Amino acid sequence: MSRLDRWFEGMSRQSARRVSRRSWLSRFGGVLVGGAALPLLPVARAAEKHQVGEDGVKGREGDPRRCEYWRHCAIDGFLCSCCGGSHTACPPGTEMSPVTWIGTCRNPADGIDYIISYNDCCGKTFCGRCMCNRNEGERPLYHWYRNNDINWCGGAKTQTYSCSTAVVVKAAKEAQPEK
Amino acid sequence: MKGLLLTMALLLLALPARADSYEEHDYILNCSGCHRMDGRGSRTVPSLLAMTELLGKPGVRAYWAQVPGVAQAPLTDARLAALLNWLVKRFTGQSPNPAYTDNEVKRLRSTPARDPVARRSKIRDAILR
Repeated sequence: MSRLDRWFEGMSRQSARRVSRRSWLSRFGGVLVGGAALPLLPVARAAEKHQVGEDGVKGREGDPRRCEYWRHCAIDGFLCSCCGGSHTACPPGTEMSPVTWIGTCRNPADGIDYIISYNDCCGKTFCGRCMCNRNEGERPLYHWYRNNDINWCGGAKTQTYSCSTAVVVKAAKEAQPEK
Repeated sequence: MKGLLLTMALLLLALPARADSYEEHDYILNCSGCHRMDGRGSRTVPSLLAMTELLGKPGVRAYWAQVPGVAQAPLTDARLAALLNWLVKRFTGQSPNPAYTDNEVKRLRSTPARDPVARRSKIRDAILR
């Protein structure tokens, strides 16, 4: 132990003799600022494109709490990400309805259309936060499988609607024909 | 070397077929929302696995093309015929023989089933009489 102490003492005394305090400060400051500025470089931004989200879809995750988020293109309801869950998981105490309506949304990061499943979360009273009503590609009630005014909690144990998720199923071969 | 070439040729043949087949895509987009990915359905939606009950019974071929979900699907006759062939094989284990063609689907879907549930029971129970 004393050997380690001696070694550290020697190192500090040596650096104190050789390096001025100002020079150390300027270098340390440089490292701090440089490190913070690194993500601003185009290299870092290019690397972001190759980020993969939690369900394996490429591109910047964006903010799933916002209605403008790309996966919400045809949603009508409260975003589960604002209600104690996420855009792929139900809040505690609710159950994901097995039946749902399905459409496609284009991911701006890779330009690919993805099949999105808008499973509702059921079993608690409606969440009331982050209402999002975009309805792109939605169809009237007589096309029930493309309609989001149906209570899709019909397939769950309780029919009380709480909030909606937007789960990516897989890449689509073409955009939903209604768009 | 021969084996390798053969494999490569097979892979080449398989590639365009995969790229052009829309069956699974069309199933996910037009059927799976209610019937679910595995076809099990739910308390409110019939299971597609129950299609085996009707397999080979008279009238079932037309019935499958005329149930509202099939007849009204926003798909062309050709894509719908391909989807039906794929779907019957997947959920009954047997391909329809002969396969549905676009002309047949066009003819069948122009006459919608007015009471699908009653018609289904009739087809299912026909053999018991």
